[in-house]
Amino acid sequence: MLETHEKQLEELLAHPSVWRGRSRAAVETFPTGFAALDAGLPGGGWPRHGLVEILTPQPGVGELYLLLPALAALSRLLPARWCTWVSPPHEPFAPALAAHGVALDRMLIVRTHLPLWAHEQALRSGACEVALAWLPRASPRAVRRLQLAAEQGRALGVLYRSQKFASEASPAMLRVLLEPMVAAGRQGARLTLLKSRGGSREPIDLTWAAAAA
Amino acid sequence: MRHARKSLFEPGDVSAAPSVLRVRPAPPPPTGPGSSGQAALELDPRELWIAAHVPHLSLLSLPAGSSPAPLVVLDEARNPRIVDADARAQAAGVRIGMTLGAALAAAPHIDARPRDAARELALMQRLAGIAAAFTPQVSIEAPDGLLLEIKPSIRLFGGLKELCRQLRAACLADTAFARSGAQPHFTLAPTALAALAAARAGARCFITDPRQLPARLKLLPAGVLRWPEDANARLLAMGVRTLGDLLRLPRAGFAKRFGPALLADLDRLQGRSADPRRRITRRERYAGRVDLDHEIEDHDRILEALRPLLDELEQFLRRRQRGITALQCRFHHYRAAPTTCALRLAAPEADAARLQSLLRERLASLRLPEPVRRCELRGGVLTQRPLASKPLWPAGERGHAPANEMPALIEHLRARLGADAVYGIGRVPEHRPENAWRLTEPALAPVVSKDAAGDSSVSAPFHRPLWLLHAPQELDSQRGRPRRGGALELLAGPELIESGWWDGADARRDYYVADDARGSRLWIYRECAGARKWFLHGIFG
Repeated sequence: MLETHEKQLEELLAHPSVWRGRSRAAVETFPTGFAALDAGLPGGGWPRHGLVEILTPQPGVGELYLLLPALAALSRLLPARWCTWVSPPHEPFAPALAAHGVALDRMLIVRTHLPLWAHEQALRSGACEVALAWLPRASPRAVRRLQLAAEQGRALGVLYRSQKFASEASPAMLRVLLEPMVAAGRQGARLTLLKSRGGSREPIDLTWAAAAA
Repeated sequence: MRHARKSLFEPGDVSAAPSVLRVRPAPPPPTGPGSSGQAALELDPRELWIAAHVPHLSLLSLPAGSSPAPLVVLDEARNPRIVDADARAQAAGVRIGMTLGAALAAAPHIDARPRDAARELALMQRLAGIAAAFTPQVSIEAPDGLLLEIKPSIRLFGGLKELCRQLRAACLADTAFARSGAQPHFTLAPTALAALAAARAGARCFITDPRQLPARLKLLPAGVLRWPEDANARLLAMGVRTLGDLLRLPRAGFAKRFGPALLADLDRLQGRSADPRRRITRRERYAGRVDLDHEIEDHDRILEALRPLLDELEQFLRRRQRGITALQCRFHHYRAAPTTCALRLAAPEADAARLQSLLRERLASLRLPEPVRRCELRGGVLTQRPLASKPLWPAGERGHAPANEMPALIEHLRARLGADAVYGIGRVPEHRPENAWRLTEPALAPVVSKDAAGDSSVSAPFHRPLWLLHAPQELDSQRGRPRRGGALELLAGPELIESGWWDGADARRDYYVADDARGSRLWIYRECAGARKWFLHGIFG
């Protein structure tokens, strides 16, 4: 008798829309290209659609290397959707991107004084696989809009923000704090999942194998 | 809110394109130009031509304003002749073809005006535009005739009678054409020239059988062929007054006296030889206007007022299965100069709702100096619009094929942010980093094969940063060592890049990879000449 109840309960809890504190949410994911990170992330990779926040103490600490394998893989999917960069801090250097296997003809750069609006349009349109945005500031309400847009357009939205927003609440699906780490001459980074649906709570150390030097 | 709306489909330029030459079996050699022998009997009515003749076109095309005196129209020759005269002038003795002097002698009080060829052509183009709804083969027979080949359209319009009825009704329904007072005379015949001749003569002619052609043509005056004047005069001297007389003449003698060109005309008249006509293709634009009852400043209200025009534009485009890639909106104010708002689209578009949403974005970045009194909408050149089915799967699903989401997104972003704000990137085989990439127009074609998805030929060790600064940033230095919030630690280098001595942007630089104190990896260089300053050029990201 008790066993059947337990079984029924199990079945109920296995439903994808039920999520419990420690359990891993059933989300569609794709590999990040880093084995250590895949192991730590819920679902074993970046979510296929939703909003990811990447917080860094300063630009240039490896925030792009973190996404590069995924970008390369996504830009070569067939049929390929686009990857939109909304107000990046510098020019993405085409030869370097191409050398890392990113298909350049699927890249779209948007320079704007309205990054929030442009990012939302890109996510909502359904034309983009990934939309990266560098936002100086974004209210939790705006981030919530982006999260909804990403779900609607079935796109992965990536929000690069400063570390000082780490203490703010955010409706993003996944929040990652990225800190540079130089160990034994190899460049790498330490990742902390500030918010995730069942991801690892230990910091994850990565080294950029593909990086320079 | 009511708006007085006025719109017209501008005919634009009319350019001639050759029609398809109809190939027909060679007829047996005829015995004479007029013999109604076997040749004409065997003719299959492969073609059916409707001719429309607008009587008194020159008079109708004169600028408006009635004159109390009898009106005559003169041609542009140095010694002007009368090309058209109204009923009062004709009653006073003025005949078409007279010189002005002769006409003035007959009736000294006439009002003589030069003909307005441009307006005549515009009126005929208007008529051609109406006729183009019935067949693609429409040609203007200057100055006052129009030819339509309607054989292939008969079934579509439910029979010949019905087609003719609809054609007449369309002429009456077109207000601009009806207002001009033109009453075209329509005829139907198996050859173009026969239909035209009957129409010019004002005769009733509705025949589909080539065998009836000679009997019908017999009574028409020979002048309707509009041959050169001396030929007409000679025919008259020979006692040839009607086409019947003309067709009875012996073929060889006719060719000798009048030349092969006129003989060929007679053959075409009877359907003995092909008579291809140059069909006109119209480059149409849409133009619409809405006069507002009161002045509006609110963007939403302006869009609301524009909506009927956009709907009309959509109808206009859908009927032609075309799209536009440019749209111009003009807002007229009370005092200030009109504000123009131009929209450029990445892909041909015909959907009113989409155009409206793009205009909304465009308007959001537009400053109107004054409230708007009148809006004008002008469509760009019509372009082919590929008709695609809507995808079954939503975007992002496995089965989904990318449709027009990307052009739509690009247009949407560009409408608000400007055309320069959205671009793609590409590689250039160049050593100088700032020249090794370029802006590109986003490639809109969907990538379908693996090979097309960029090449991965460069995967060798490649010490290039992911970020390049817009312009190199000068770094402080201390005893020849670069600093950026602390001394930089050089990890790799130097790598000499020396290039561009030929185009004036000579660069000789030693590049290094360096780490700064906060953990960022930088790409810096030192000039090899001059002050040997340090610059930051890239960030590895």
